[in-house]
Amino acid sequence: MAKPIPKIGSRKNGRIGSRKHARKIPKGVIHVQASFNNTIVTVTDVRGRVISWSSAGTCGFKGTRRGTPFAAQTAAGNAIRTVANQGMQRAEVMIKGPGLGRDAALRAIRRSGILLNFIRDVTPMPHNGCRSPKKRRV
Amino acid sequence: MAYLLHPQLILPCPCGWRHHILAPPSSTATTMSPVLRNGLSGSVHTGEAFVRRSRSVRCMANPRRVKMVAKQIQRELSDMLLTDNVLQFAVLPEASLGADRYLSSLTTISDVEVSSDLQVVKVYVSVFGDERGKEVALAGLKSKAKYVRSELGRRMKLRLTPEIRFIEDESFERGSRVIAILDKIKNDKSLENKNMEHLDSSAQDDDDNWDDVDPDEGIIYVD
Repeated sequence: MAKPIPKIGSRKNGRIGSRKHARKIPKGVIHVQASFNNTIVTVTDVRGRVISWSSAGTCGFKGTRRGTPFAAQTAAGNAIRTVANQGMQRAEVMIKGPGLGRDAALRAIRRSGILLNFIRDVTPMPHNGCRSPKKRRV
Repeated sequence: MAYLLHPQLILPCPCGWRHHILAPPSSTATTMSPVLRNGLSGSVHTGEAFVRRSRSVRCMANPRRVKMVAKQIQRELSDMLLTDNVLQFAVLPEASLGADRYLSSLTTISDVEVSSDLQVVKVYVSVFGDERGKEVALAGLKSKAKYVRSELGRRMKLRLTPEIRFIEDESFERGSRVIAILDKIKNDKSLENKNMEHLDSSAQDDDDNWDDVDPDEGIIYVD
């Protein structure tokens, strides 16, 4: 049975949602955003189109436990499991933010058997732009 | 410890003018500054009890405050590791050559322990990478301890900036190794079960791979 041809111009038919591509991607990029309270792991292809993602919150942790390295580890494991059966062998890792998730997620990725090409740190750094929030008093 | 939170302001009180809510007589000589905001945020002088013992004064801070200071120090230090140039060159020497964020090792501050008098801070650092990277990173950090202390004093408002000691944290490594071994055992067992089910299975090829896959092998470091 043929798939319905999407009419590009008209929005009334509704968009064809997530057509599951079973594309084989041997090489991908794993983005890890590690803040103090949570870790989000996103797996994309080289161009940046998201394949799957997972975070400490979606893995069932709540509250302060989301920030722990163990939660980051399970999030990374979850995100990679979806991709490993699509046959991804090599990956590049982009790490953003401070936080305990950086180390833990990296180790989980390495343990899962995916080869790491590069590790990059892409924390956004302003060239003295917006004013940062005020200092916390302690 | 609710009594510590009550402000010693002069309030119009039904009992009369100038009614202070005093601390109970058991804690001798507790001096508190007059304005307390929720007990949590506030100036440096709150929450410290001076215990007089044979003419020497020792300051012990509120344990809750110690935890807050530890957390704040962790935030500041992680931020410094990310943004400060001097520290980054100390940890990763190739950054000075312009490696532009292609890292060979990743340093993270996993834990900060502050002594109860807020004078000594032990920072546990975990480094991801090979042996050489670890040594280089830790040596670099230790050599910059004084610089870090002065930076911290500039960023945080503390009466006395504590002395900072960097300690290597191996718990991540150990945990990772244990989990890797457990995974391997689990996979071996499941493969065995699979092999026993299909008697003439072609899945025996998989058995060879488990010995060959070395988790440390495939990492290419850019130097």
